[in-house]
Amino acid sequence: MEGETRKTVLHAWHAAHGANMAIFASYDMPLWYPAGARAEHLAVLSRAGLFDTSHMAVITVSGRSARSLLQRCFSKDLDACLGPGRAPIAAGRCVYGVFLDIRGHVIDDAIVYQVTEDLYMVVVNAGMGGTIAAHLAANRQGEDPAITDLTDKVGKMDIQGPASARILRGLLQDPEAVLPGMGYFSFKGWFDGKEAGIAPVTLLDGTSVLVSRTGYTGEFGFELYMDIARMVPVWETLLEAGRAFDLIPCGLAARDSLRAGAGLPLSHQDIGHWPFVHNPWLFALAWDKDGKGFSKDFIGAEALLQCREHRYTLPFAGFDPRKINACEDSWVTDMQGIRIGSILTCTTDMAIGRAEGDIISIATAEAAGKKDFAPRGLSCGFVRVEMSLAAGETIILTDGKRRITVEIREEIRPGRTARRAMARML
Amino acid sequence: MKEINELNLPDGLRYTRDHEWVKIMGDAAIVGISDYAQDQLGDIVYVEMPEVGDEFKQGEEFGTLESVKAVSETYLPLTGEIIEINEALADAPELVNKDPYENWIVRIRPADLSELDSLLTVDEYLDLLNG
Repeated sequence: MEGETRKTVLHAWHAAHGANMAIFASYDMPLWYPAGARAEHLAVLSRAGLFDTSHMAVITVSGRSARSLLQRCFSKDLDACLGPGRAPIAAGRCVYGVFLDIRGHVIDDAIVYQVTEDLYMVVVNAGMGGTIAAHLAANRQGEDPAITDLTDKVGKMDIQGPASARILRGLLQDPEAVLPGMGYFSFKGWFDGKEAGIAPVTLLDGTSVLVSRTGYTGEFGFELYMDIARMVPVWETLLEAGRAFDLIPCGLAARDSLRAGAGLPLSHQDIGHWPFVHNPWLFALAWDKDGKGFSKDFIGAEALLQCREHRYTLPFAGFDPRKINACEDSWVTDMQGIRIGSILTCTTDMAIGRAEGDIISIATAEAAGKKDFAPRGLSCGFVRVEMSLAAGETIILTDGKRRITVEIREEIRPGRTARRAMARML
Repeated sequence: MKEINELNLPDGLRYTRDHEWVKIMGDAAIVGISDYAQDQLGDIVYVEMPEVGDEFKQGEEFGTLESVKAVSETYLPLTGEIIEINEALADAPELVNKDPYENWIVRIRPADLSELDSLLTVDEYLDLLNG
């Protein structure tokens, strides 16, 4: 598909509503709408934003051997992945992990949903449906699970922000059966209304949806999967229903700045064709109880255990909004100016600022005694450097002309709402 | 995104191929970025300025504009000395988005006004945008 520009079914809507468009992973996608990326970023922290994410790819894996195939290919142990007790995944739950090649390099990251005992949904990045479906097919071992790449057939939109549940409630036929008690990384419903074995979730207009309490912003919200033909009407209905809550459409720029501030990786940029070690996302692996080995064998596991990789991927935040573009012509130095690595992501989280050195966000300002906090934003992202650095240590990002001092962090944006109990959000 | 015919491109300014504008005011000139540039950049979150007294050649980088997505260099349309920077942009860089002509970035003393001939008129700039 290289060279071919793809469009989501909402493309005409985006263009008609004044979006600035750009190509991302071969899809022509909205970067921001007339409100601007800053207003969109802030809306997701204080109210809600709606994202067209139907460029992402859905694959289903079904049949009696579906689970064993995923166990071989996916980094998370589906038999021991939920909570501190390491319970097996169950119908209605989903987990984040990665697909590795035999060298332990990342092919893509994914969320795997268990729909029924024999049916799993795998959600990967834009343009990766074919690649991951082929990877799964190539790793069958005398089993015959059905692997179906539903790229451009299943649509997805994400409603993210503290008002998301209150907006969604108004669109559901039976909100009381869906929302109360719904935990982080759980889901209900199915996207085509046909699948047996899972209770359907239906919107007032009859659309079958899979409602997943997940997202890519670090904030409370949902990803909604549905038949591609239902995307435009549901998008418009949601925006209409969300008007009273100041719901606004949001583009990829806000999505990127929100996820960076939340410490989430972008596949093929922050993780990719290098070993999946020494990074902030190792929870995606099937660690055993001691955290020294793995609780199952999977593709790439042995390479990771043998890995001699000496480079570390670390989150950082700056002291003001200034950035250095992450590109081939920029690099990272220590405070003495010695080159130590490269910049993977560098963006501005516009909801945060420094108060006496500490980072506060518009969500935590009042508690920090800064009621009139008007953030100018802080640069943030990820670097890959040749040594382990502790949180609080400073490094310099440079393009050879400009030099920006940033701080290694464990967390970037404080007060994120993604894990907040549903009862507080309804 | 603004359509070309929705852009505010005042007459009487000279434009560069890098989307700056310059307006001569007596023996000084003010410099900013065009409506097209601010629309393409999106929300501007930081404006990096030169120092008063700095001198630049025509086309030389004199600062940067940071949008949410990226850092973009700004180039001086005319050889000259920086005689004032727009201090208001330090606390409110979004002013450039609100009105990119009212909110100039630097004031300069041009060294050679004949350089104006190498800059684009509004019609030539429109031709450039229309590709």
